[in-house]
Amino acid sequence: MISRGLSTTCRAAAACVVVVAALALPASALGHELDPGFLQVTESEPGVYAITFKVPTAGGRRMPLQPMFPVGCSETSPMTSRPSGTGFLERWQISCDGSLLGETIRIGGLERTYTDVMIRVELAEEEPLSYIVQSVDPSVIVGGEGQGSQGALAYAWLGFEHILLGIDHLLFVLGLLLIVQNRWMLVKTVTSFTVAHSITLAIATLGFASAPAAPLNAAIALSILFLGPEIVRVWRGETSLTIQHPWVVAFAFGLLHGFGFASGLTTIGLPSGEIPLALLLFNVGVELGQLVFVVVILALERAFRVLEIYWPRWAEMFPGYAVGSLGAFWTIQRTWMLLGG
Amino acid sequence: MTNRTRTLTAAVLGAGAIPGIADAHLVNTGFGPFYDGISHLFVTAPDILVVVALGLLAGLRGPTTGRTTLAVVIVAWTVGGLTGLALAPPVVWAAATTVTFLALGAALAVDREVPTGVVAALGLGVGLLHGFLNGAEAATSGIGLVGLAGSLSALAVMATLITALAVTWAQGWTRIVVRVAGSWITAIGILMLGWLFRPGA
Repeated sequence: MISRGLSTTCRAAAACVVVVAALALPASALGHELDPGFLQVTESEPGVYAITFKVPTAGGRRMPLQPMFPVGCSETSPMTSRPSGTGFLERWQISCDGSLLGETIRIGGLERTYTDVMIRVELAEEEPLSYIVQSVDPSVIVGGEGQGSQGALAYAWLGFEHILLGIDHLLFVLGLLLIVQNRWMLVKTVTSFTVAHSITLAIATLGFASAPAAPLNAAIALSILFLGPEIVRVWRGETSLTIQHPWVVAFAFGLLHGFGFASGLTTIGLPSGEIPLALLLFNVGVELGQLVFVVVILALERAFRVLEIYWPRWAEMFPGYAVGSLGAFWTIQRTWMLLGG
Repeated sequence: MTNRTRTLTAAVLGAGAIPGIADAHLVNTGFGPFYDGISHLFVTAPDILVVVALGLLAGLRGPTTGRTTLAVVIVAWTVGGLTGLALAPPVVWAAATTVTFLALGAALAVDREVPTGVVAALGLGVGLLHGFLNGAEAATSGIGLVGLAGSLSALAVMATLITALAVTWAQGWTRIVVRVAGSWITAIGILMLGWLFRPGA
């Protein structure tokens, strides 16, 4: 990282943190399966609401989530359900005794998951309201103050969460940090990764292109595996295109990772009017999460130098093997899933 | 040591030995038990303050004391945490954890020259006590070993960064800043003790 001499001080600890995180996170987080749900409630006429619920899947199964409306609301049309992307799209209609303003909407079953649900409520003669609810508090009071992450902040939070739970993205960034040789190269590499994934994130969110989840996840795993041997080459003092120009690799694979980030937004089926703002803020959240990770790693590197901590050879080599091994594991696992295993 | 000092010391240590009812400072981040464990360190005042105070105290004594204490506290916190996880006692010993950071804050503010072994021994005691309580909380709250791993990761990162910061601030006027931080930590400890032993508590 930064330079060969400096990198030896923090490689082991940085990799340990990531590997512990990788092992500790729920298995579903490893395969981009923690897509958020989306509940759209639209008042079509006074007291009548059209409900659209996009339910994410976990391990290929519909997550056991169920919107719960206030007492006094009842279904007035049967629910229709069909597969949609990586989840299920359900539609039905309810009728309530009065307005939903000030009433509580709860997502049943959310408290037993690690995913989020975005709730968007469009009431007649009111500005649309957006919320994100999580397992910690799976309900909102419509129009209430301080309800979860609201409005624009909700999208930024989604992005932040997506990168922190996307341990494969973080591992790829760590791999890049272990390869770059100086600070200027670090800036170029991180910037090119950011630009690249922003491009494909925008393309996918705006609907110009998409990538099927299974091969995409396998390709992202392959990008991590690719960095393992490159890190070994750095130790050996060898050179390669990746070592000389890591920003090129960061850009190329960043395009793939952008499609991965997009799953956090596209699965919730944004209203067209909100896409630009949502895209911008979701990306801000992703960048903030990535920045926090990079800053922590660089701060640790500096701290180890100040404390004159020198690692044994095996500890120095551990990060490269961690990146390569986890990349290989995910590549095999996701390819197996891709082939229907 | 005068009689008055002895009495005060005994009172403080005695207060620290009183166990309180379990009151886990766990935040459900929605990110899973690992991140819940990470957040635990930052929302539990005695834990984060003891890490800050110990890191600053060790760092002011130079890189050797800093890295020795760092290694000791991480290992002790891990051992204590695993023990607490296994035994899972339903207590938090709030007064004891307050006394530890109060005492370390005071030592930091006084800034007397002490050998590496003494600072490392403090790290050992702090790590075992706070780690044990962390492990117990992880067990009773259900975040378990994964949550404890998150808590330990946060501890290792924070302790490393703070100790290194103190090493770089050990000379000149910044040393005074670090000592002032110690006095603030002590003040917080006194306030917390007062709160814990307020009438009717």
